[in-house]
Amino acid sequence: MISRAWLIPILPLAASLVILFFGREREDSPLPFVGIAAIGASLWIALRILFDVALGTLALPYENDWSWFSFAADLKGHPFILDMRAGVLVDGAAAAMLAVVCLVSLLVQVYSLGYMRGDAKFKRYFAYMSFFTASMLGLVVSNNLLVTFGCWELVGVSSYLLIGFWFEREAPAYAAKKAFITTKLGDLGFFLALLLTFLYAGSFNIVRVKDVVEMGYMPPFVVTLIGLGLLSGAAGKSAQAPLFIWLPDAMEGPTPVSALIHAATMVAAGIYLVARCYFVFAASPLAMETVAWAGLVTAFLAATMALVPYDIKRVLAFSTVSQLGFMMCALGVGGYTAGLFHLTTHAFFKALLFLCAGSVIHAVHTNDMRSMGGLSKRMPLTFLTMVVGAAAISGIPPLAGFYSKDLILEKVFEHSPAMFGVLALTACLTAFYTFRMLFLTFWGDGRNNERVSRAEESQAVMTIPLLILAALSLVSGWALEHAWAASPGAAGPGAFASLVGPGVAAAEHGATGAARHVNPTVLAASVTAGACCFIALAYSLYCGPDLGAAERLKARFLPVFKLLENRWGFDAFFLALVDIADRVADLAKWVDTEVIDKVFVDGWGVLTRIAAEISHLFDALFVDQAVDGCGYLSRDWVGAGLRGLIARGQVQEYLLYLAVGVSLFAIMK
Amino acid sequence: MELPLLSLITFIPLAGALAVLCLPKDLRRAIEGVSLAAAAVPFALSAWLYFAFDRSTAAMQFVERHGWISSSAVRIDYYLGVDGLSAPLVMLTALMSLVALIASLGIKERFKEYAFWFLILEVGMLGVFESLDFFLFYVFWEITLVPMYFLIGIWGGPQKEYAAIKFFLYTLTGSVFMLLGILAMYFKATPHTFDMLELMKIHGALSFKFQALVFLAFYFGFAVKVPAFPFHTWLPLAHVEAPTAISVILAAVLLKMGVYGIMRVSYPMLPLGFEWFLPYLVVIAVINIVYGALCAMAQNDMKKMVAYSSINHMGYCLLAIAGVTATGFSGAAFQMVNHGIITGALFLLVGVIYDRAHTRDIGAFGGLATKVPVYAGLMSLACFASLGLPGMAGFVSEFLCFLGAFPRWKIYTAISVLGILTTAAFFLRMLEKVFLGPLNNRWADLTDMNARELVSLVPLAVLMVVLGIWPRLALDMMNATMVNLAGLFK
Amino acid sequence: MTLSHYVALGSILFIIGVFGALTRRSVIGILMSVELMFNAANINLAAFNRYLHPTGVTGQAFALFIMTVAAAEVVVGLALVLAIYRRRDKIYMEDINLMRG
Repeated sequence: MISRAWLIPILPLAASLVILFFGREREDSPLPFVGIAAIGASLWIALRILFDVALGTLALPYENDWSWFSFAADLKGHPFILDMRAGVLVDGAAAAMLAVVCLVSLLVQVYSLGYMRGDAKFKRYFAYMSFFTASMLGLVVSNNLLVTFGCWELVGVSSYLLIGFWFEREAPAYAAKKAFITTKLGDLGFFLALLLTFLYAGSFNIVRVKDVVEMGYMPPFVVTLIGLGLLSGAAGKSAQAPLFIWLPDAMEGPTPVSALIHAATMVAAGIYLVARCYFVFAASPLAMETVAWAGLVTAFLAATMALVPYDIKRVLAFSTVSQLGFMMCALGVGGYTAGLFHLTTHAFFKALLFLCAGSVIHAVHTNDMRSMGGLSKRMPLTFLTMVVGAAAISGIPPLAGFYSKDLILEKVFEHSPAMFGVLALTACLTAFYTFRMLFLTFWGDGRNNERVSRAEESQAVMTIPLLILAALSLVSGWALEHAWAASPGAAGPGAFASLVGPGVAAAEHGATGAARHVNPTVLAASVTAGACCFIALAYSLYCGPDLGAAERLKARFLPVFKLLENRWGFDAFFLALVDIADRVADLAKWVDTEVIDKVFVDGWGVLTRIAAEISHLFDALFVDQAVDGCGYLSRDWVGAGLRGLIARGQVQEYLLYLAVGVSLFAIMK
Repeated sequence: MELPLLSLITFIPLAGALAVLCLPKDLRRAIEGVSLAAAAVPFALSAWLYFAFDRSTAAMQFVERHGWISSSAVRIDYYLGVDGLSAPLVMLTALMSLVALIASLGIKERFKEYAFWFLILEVGMLGVFESLDFFLFYVFWEITLVPMYFLIGIWGGPQKEYAAIKFFLYTLTGSVFMLLGILAMYFKATPHTFDMLELMKIHGALSFKFQALVFLAFYFGFAVKVPAFPFHTWLPLAHVEAPTAISVILAAVLLKMGVYGIMRVSYPMLPLGFEWFLPYLVVIAVINIVYGALCAMAQNDMKKMVAYSSINHMGYCLLAIAGVTATGFSGAAFQMVNHGIITGALFLLVGVIYDRAHTRDIGAFGGLATKVPVYAGLMSLACFASLGLPGMAGFVSEFLCFLGAFPRWKIYTAISVLGILTTAAFFLRMLEKVFLGPLNNRWADLTDMNARELVSLVPLAVLMVVLGIWPRLALDMMNATMVNLAGLFK
Repeated sequence: MTLSHYVALGSILFIIGVFGALTRRSVIGILMSVELMFNAANINLAAFNRYLHPTGVTGQAFALFIMTVAAAEVVVGLALVLAIYRRRDKIYMEDINLMRG
């Protein structure tokens, strides 16, 4: 089955083309099922790969590639024709990621059948979704960094198309552009990293580059630069500080899109990229430390920002940013397995939370949590699944989030207790804002009775994916940590570690050389207890029929709230940057039209004209007058005399002159 | 005897032009038919060229050489040939001429003269890329000027006369300097010759001073055409005033003549001068990229925006050339082809909306995507291709350009990367303002693209995607030549 | 009959023609005089050919060509005369002086 790994991204791509170019836009168009079937087939392949690995019949990593194109290149000044190969590289992380992406994508698309029903662009939506899935899967399996970058940009475009799916309104159109350009800003770093990689490794093949880096053929300075470049790309895509500004706005897209792209998969691409190129970071302590701090700062800032909004999707968006920060931080402190583990579990419970939110929005037609409340009775299934999701993200044992977050905190503690402190606080804040959201939405009496009383539980096509994801959120942490007898040679205990670990065992151990040992149980218990306290706090603040307590708190700490609502001023900062760029552009335009064109180019013209006028004057006054003088002389003096004498218009006279002339010549010989 | 393929490609449009001249102007149908045939046959022949082209050699192929003007004093040959650098450009020219001619079928006034001048223009452009004799090269180079002058000056926009004369004088000034360079080369060679391939072999005998001076003369001629900062200001004006199809030709083919000249003449013939000029060239390239993109961002006129984006994209070519690597040369050559296709398509698309709305002001639209979905789709595709989205043609070539320039000019390349961001910014802003958001009711009865427009655009759109996914279609033709070119002075 | 006879005849004809062309008032008369001069030349051509190169026919051939050209010339001339007559009702040379300086 592994030999068909290349089919995994190709199937959804084909599906997307079929959906886009065939059939007509209809409410009951059957074409979405093409996309669902394709992603189902991809999921089947991905699961079979995992299954084979579990059975031990397949050894990862698996690599296979084909010639893509060839171009003229230079090696130490000697030009030759280089064959650019593209193909698949499936290692443990990729195999896990493939399964996660396919699974979440499948569930979200099924869910969308219900959520998007009746939309005027029903068919196009599924085409975009399939296209996104294809690009994402391509990003995951590619063994060539250039192709990875290509897919990386393509997921950016799909995200652009899907955020701006309801482009008839201003806000989604703006948000789509903002997302694309912000991530593009980060991608510049990725781009430069690619250039550097090729310059020093002479290849984009990940395995080859890895060899070059690990053999130490690359100067450390360059490795650090490459690492920072990759991090910049990852920060854009995974919404790390300070490039996270696009993600909250991206919530203008349809909610299933937010669940798939802006929670479970695309935003995880940055994390995945760092994990995939872990050898670069392992070789550069500075880059590694930067990753850790970027993650830490992001996790904390985003968690604080998630405390204040009343838009349910905004809360989830900030929460996503924060969780991505956790993963990034984990990778930065050497917790390769921990980061990817959290990536996997997060994909499940965050997709679940988003889809639940979508279900709620679908029912009450608003994003504002102040207009909800008391929905638990009207939407019991959504309520239950969302509780599971909230508990999972808050790290309540034995749900998925508990295991992965615990692993991260453990790693961070080994690295630095100070960072652990911040991260533990962030974990508690996570519990607080998640349950704040839950309480506002489902508890308390309906604050807006009319909307709530009309709310109904969503149809089965939407609730079944919720149930599946809830089940996964319940058991995946435990299952991945404990089930599957650990294969020999694994980096740590547990099935997930044995899957993804072998490739990076060395790096992971190297980075945590000076490990502090702590009893994991104590750590887990204390963080969990903290989270429970914050949940209780949230209960006391947001559970009542009105928001009095919360409002009083807000009035008291108004500056802090304002700062958080303004997202720590990051948006303003980037808007100012855009403004500066616009001014520079206007200046450039002015210089171009008024200075270069008017002065230098047209100036030459004017100078030439002046020179021309002078020479014209000279010409008219002297040269031409002289010529005219000759003319006048011959016309008025010589000509006039001769005319009166011989030119009288008599042909026969002329003929006589002719005859006389000829006779004269004849006589003179 | 072998078929004179290149001569056929070059002179069938001339025959077509003469035939058009003989037809009465009322027979519109016949004129259309003849001119289309005269553009289609060279295209078909260039497709043949594509398949018959030997990809394994860097030597000139399909060579035709006959004495033209020979006396005891001068010897000028009719000498044609193509290699991996010029063959793709010949195909691009044939393709874009056909596409632009199809797009011009909407022209209402004086179509006969239009078709005549257009076909003459095609002869000149094809000849420039094919000729291997400097004299012939110069003749073809100048032949492109006159038709362009009339095409802009008669069928152009409100400021057409000014734009036409500016274009004409500017490029003529450049080519006069080029002529000086050609003459200098001619007299320096012993025996005196206009044979470009021979002239590439004498650089060892040329002093540095001579090379630098002659390089500057050539550079001026080529830089105006590229157009390289600060000789670029004719371009936005000419583009804005020219009729749609002529903008397409300007962007797709005429600009390529400059870069082609640098790669065919300046670099191989005057290596010392080239080497001396490199630090300046790379600065000019960076200015072209960043400054061009910034200027584009500040425009409100869609056509002007695309015109400035051309300056930006040609900057990538210059940057790649300044890298003096095989990769850079491939990138530049490939970028020329891709820019031709993509920017050609963009100009066609701008023309489509201008024909309907009679305005190109970005701010005047809004929400058109609901009204004209096909148009919006094609425009987005072209914009994404132009901003270098992977999977589209522009990406591979831009990437190769950067990759080629990077080893030599790390900092400059890093600065140029900003150009990518700015390009994305202005294209997306345009898309947002024109197509997204609520529909501006002024355009409530806008119609989507008609069959003629689709016929001219869909092939370009397909090419954009195909070349992006499968770049070997074009790169395989170029590889041998580029390796040879980069290895000339190693 | 010797060559001198023919040459003399030709000269006499030519002088008559010149005299007529210079003195006639009527354009028709001038045209006729011009014809006389042509024929004088023809006689000379034929005669010289006969006596100097008896084997060739070049002179006679030239004479034929000149006759043809003369015929064409007369046609054009008469057409002009007719056109002038229609406009002015007379064909006297002294009245046709448009080329006066």
